[in-house]
Amino acid sequence: MIKDITIGQFFPGKSFIHKLDPRAKIILTFVFIVALFLCKNFFSLGLLFASALISIAVSKISFKVILKGLKMIVVLVVFTGILQIIYNDEGTLLWKPFQQFDFAVTTGGIFSAVFIIIRIVSLILFSSLLTYTTSPTMLTDAIERLLSPLKLIKVNVSSLAMMMTIALRFIPTLIEEIDIIMSAQKARGADLETGSLTQRAKALVPVFIPLIVNSFRRAYELAFAMECRCYTGDNKRTRMKEMKLGIRDYTAFLIVLLLVALVIATSFFNISSWFIFERVI
Amino acid sequence: MDDKHLLVFENVSYSYDEEDASEAFAVKDVSFTVDKGEFVVVLGHNGSGKSTLAKLSNSIFVPSSGKVYVEGMDTSDEKYEFKIREKVGVVFQNPDNQIVASIVEEDVAFGPENLGIEPKKIRERVDNALKAVGMYEYRLHETHRLSGGQKQRVAIAGMIAMLPDCIVFDEPTAMLDPKGRKEVMKTALELNKNADMAIVFITHFMEEAIFADKVIVIDGGRLLASGTPSEIFAQKEMLEKCGLDVPDIVKLAGMLREKGVPLDGNILSEDDLVREYLKILNP
Repeated sequence: MIKDITIGQFFPGKSFIHKLDPRAKIILTFVFIVALFLCKNFFSLGLLFASALISIAVSKISFKVILKGLKMIVVLVVFTGILQIIYNDEGTLLWKPFQQFDFAVTTGGIFSAVFIIIRIVSLILFSSLLTYTTSPTMLTDAIERLLSPLKLIKVNVSSLAMMMTIALRFIPTLIEEIDIIMSAQKARGADLETGSLTQRAKALVPVFIPLIVNSFRRAYELAFAMECRCYTGDNKRTRMKEMKLGIRDYTAFLIVLLLVALVIATSFFNISSWFIFERVI
Repeated sequence: MDDKHLLVFENVSYSYDEEDASEAFAVKDVSFTVDKGEFVVVLGHNGSGKSTLAKLSNSIFVPSSGKVYVEGMDTSDEKYEFKIREKVGVVFQNPDNQIVASIVEEDVAFGPENLGIEPKKIRERVDNALKAVGMYEYRLHETHRLSGGQKQRVAIAGMIAMLPDCIVFDEPTAMLDPKGRKEVMKTALELNKNADMAIVFITHFMEEAIFADKVIVIDGGRLLASGTPSEIFAQKEMLEKCGLDVPDIVKLAGMLREKGVPLDGNILSEDDLVREYLKILNP
């Protein structure tokens, strides 16, 4: 059950997207996310959504995995969609079920619901594509390098990156441990699945206490192991994998730049009237 | 002190209680040496202080009294701290708690990266280390998906990548299944033979002492006996007192000898026994 979580997982591969410089990937993901919030019509949103789908196809990550990741946000998506339908009264009236309430389904509401849903889904697609195609260490390395200007104000970026690496490394280990402790407590007669919400929350206390105690023990042992491998926590570490922006990265930058230019042009300069797509928001 | 030995323990005592070091000694007055290319097995039961020995050997702990020298460098001297850790690597019991990165090759690279070596040379060291433990094909795998034995081999590779002269194994097999135990033991033996690396193997499994050049028995923090495997296995009473069990084959050979079968004293494995017994049958 807990093992089904795919967010933050990494799927090794050799695709164009896998081979992109992780710094470029982080920046591009941010650009895409900003673009998603800038776009104001179906044309530009569709463009971004399509590029998300194309990127996934290029990365050769199976759509099954992607769908599994999206399952996590179904509730959020449905809820936001319903809110949009309820609160948006623009456009033509389609259905007014209760005369006494001020509630109506309008074309505007449906459009904005679909719009928001596509926007959220694209958001998740872009950000999960980043973690699916980049190893956690590469990701933290890239963040370290992107944050390196902070060294000027004496922030120990290297330690921050190390903390992130270790946190990511121990997520699966701790998930496994939760499973083991839960089974152990069930074997002792603990009831974790029935009862009211408060009862179930209380039943989790004997799961989390051993987990926390064990984490401290792990941290202690890990610290010894890291010391044995000459870790000091200063900024003098070198890296096995060098990062160099190559022709691949510049190509990706160029493509994304064009896309964003299109999004901005259609969203702000009303060029969308050239196309049959209507302005929605 | 002398430079002849790789690792020297000189009347070493260690107490976890720094205030009152008189009573609770984890290690008390232990002396032994490890030479270049030697395979030393340290035997001891739970709580005998054998894990403390591992941490004393590379300056993680500093002796309360006595000295530990690594290639002539005093472990209590802070300026040698990192030099010593480069020379003596330690592999711990729980493989999960010593792997730092999520990907095999990135974990192996952790040590060399800390030493500030240039990227191309790290790559070379990582590849060689992974080949030495037979995990090269797994270099891009996620560490948490490996079996216990494989994880432990990755941890060993992480040590090899630092190019040490000696690796101390602190009960590396205690948490593994029999298959994983064999994998790790085989890796340690191969390192000793092929790379001429000194190995200190701390364990409570007597079978693992069979291949040693030298066996040291620790009980209650004190060194009880030291010698070749057959010399140690011959001292049955002493071993039983420490809660250690002689391997079945050695026991069997001893029983046969008691019954008057004129077996040679150097029997440590099944093969030895069969060979010696055949010698008696067809002289």
